[in-house]
Amino acid sequence: MLLSVDNITVHYSRLPALREVSVFVDEGEIVCIVGPNGAGKSTTLLSISGVLNPTSGDITFDGKRINGMSPEAVARAGISQVPEGRHVFTTLNVEENLRIGTSIRQDRSDIEKDFKKVLEIFPVLAERRKQAAGKLSGGEQQMLVIGRALLTSPRIMTIDEPSLGLAPNLVDRVYETLLELRKDRGLTLLIVEQSSERALKSADRLYVLRSGQMQLEGNVADLQDGEKVRQAYFGFEESTTDDDEVAF
Amino acid sequence: MDYIIQTVISALSFGSFYALGALGIGLLFSVLRLINFAHGDFITIGGFALIVPSSAVVATVLIGGFHPVLLVICVVAIVIIVALLSYFLVFQHVQNSSPATMMIVSFALGYTLQNIILMIYGGRPKAVNIFPELTGQVQISDGVSVQILQLVIIAVTWILLIALVLFLRRTKVGVQMRAAAEDFRMARMLGVNGKSVIALAFILSGLLAGIMALLFVTQTGVLTFRMGTPIMLFFFIATVIGGMGSLVGAVVGGYAVGIVSVVLAAVLPGDIRIFRDALVFLIVIIILLGRPQGLVLTKSAKDRV
Ligand SMILES: Nc1ncnc2c1ncn2[C@@H]1O[C@H](COP(=O)(O)OP(=O)(O)OP(=O)(O)O)[C@@H](O)[C@H]1O
Ligand SMILES: [Mg+2]
Repeated sequence: MLLSVDNITVHYSRLPALREVSVFVDEGEIVCIVGPNGAGKSTTLLSISGVLNPTSGDITFDGKRINGMSPEAVARAGISQVPEGRHVFTTLNVEENLRIGTSIRQDRSDIEKDFKKVLEIFPVLAERRKQAAGKLSGGEQQMLVIGRALLTSPRIMTIDEPSLGLAPNLVDRVYETLLELRKDRGLTLLIVEQSSERALKSADRLYVLRSGQMQLEGNVADLQDGEKVRQAYFGFEESTTDDDEVAF
Repeated sequence: MDYIIQTVISALSFGSFYALGALGIGLLFSVLRLINFAHGDFITIGGFALIVPSSAVVATVLIGGFHPVLLVICVVAIVIIVALLSYFLVFQHVQNSSPATMMIVSFALGYTLQNIILMIYGGRPKAVNIFPELTGQVQISDGVSVQILQLVIIAVTWILLIALVLFLRRTKVGVQMRAAAEDFRMARMLGVNGKSVIALAFILSGLLAGIMALLFVTQTGVLTFRMGTPIMLFFFIATVIGGMGSLVGAVVGGYAVGIVSVVLAAVLPGDIRIFRDALVFLIVIIILLGRPQGLVLTKSAKDRV
């Protein structure tokens, strides 16, 4: 097991935002956490990255306990997060943004190779190399932050809502790229999304989180009919209406 | 004509000095959201470092008597150490608090530093003469002469500004600092060491304060334990006018304040001249009413971790 989140409880204030939540990710897997607004998805990723400190529970990465470590130490350990809302450094140019994450790496010689590869994967970034990142479109910024996270040479990448604010065809592009990265370099992915639709298509396993508690965990292959996911997502005991076309 | 040239040089030199001060504050604000009111006292410490620690009425030079190069290095090093200590002993422990809390802590630190100086050196003003050759005049054209020191202040400021720009644009740590200034949490998530970046900002801020101490004491020739307070007020105003968090803004604000004060001093009739500072503040209020965000726009101060 590469990453294991074990029964963590996280508080912003007196009420917990996460209650005894567990998630595990094996090497090479694509795991998706889905859930409605305020479910605690971002909180989970921020806890993994060391930005938030769980009040109880443990997070282990590659056999080492990482909760309580600083965000920079977690990044060094090999977990790179693309947070919600992208967070490009708008005043830095595209190349500076990309290179920020390389400072933690020891393998100097591979950095240039990886840098070239990222520009190959996202040719638009090569064209805009010297342009201020704040001037990129939303889709371009999404590619930039994924490329930037890749350049830290992570063993696992966590991504918070990669489809947020992107046109459907761009979302397809982003997911295609992520799947290729998994195939080509064995990148492990933990992806957070609001909707389970994309997760059921691209992930290996799926978690449903609602109101700070884990509702469901399963292999995507076993969840294809969607009914279980729907129940976990909305919290119905049973589907009481015939309206099965609820969009989510 | 010569009067105009002298006024312009004087305005630029005051502006340069304030710009350096505002920059020292702006650097810390950009990565830490700290408005460091102890910055003026860092300058005071740089000044007192020149003399033998004693409360004797007549000051005996210590570092002030060193070879100029060694003198500059020692004073700057001492101020940098003080700045770093103030991070590790004080500000580090409140860096997750609100900007208001940090600001109050900086007042407390400044007050403490002043009282330490008072305890060691006593409260009387002390005369110190360093670089006396700089206080002379130099003729820059027929019949127009200006103080050498004013030209030195302008030159030193621009050398420091250019060096800082190169550092922030061309070096890896410089780029990391810019990233951290814009989005501290994101920078850390990419492996940028938050503590080192802040420590570096304190080093740069101390470096500027050390050099300013030398320029200031050369100009005034006097040390008093509270000498940092009035200039700090102007640095703060310069920072606010320029726009908190923007280094370009700090420089613009510094020059704006310096130029306005000198021009007011030059054009106001004698009996109103004593109200010059009040008028400067009035202009500041008017500017801020029109542009509350300051002269130079920045990406607004973000929440940090
Ligand atoms: N900085 C914060 N301070 C206080 N409470 C917070 C903070 N951030 C999130 N919360 C609360 O924690 C809970 C979980 O929030 P979180 O951001 O993890 O949800 P999410 O699943 O990512 O939602 P979304 O899909 O809207 O991004 C919510 O109830 C939210 O109000
Ligand atoms: Mg979220």
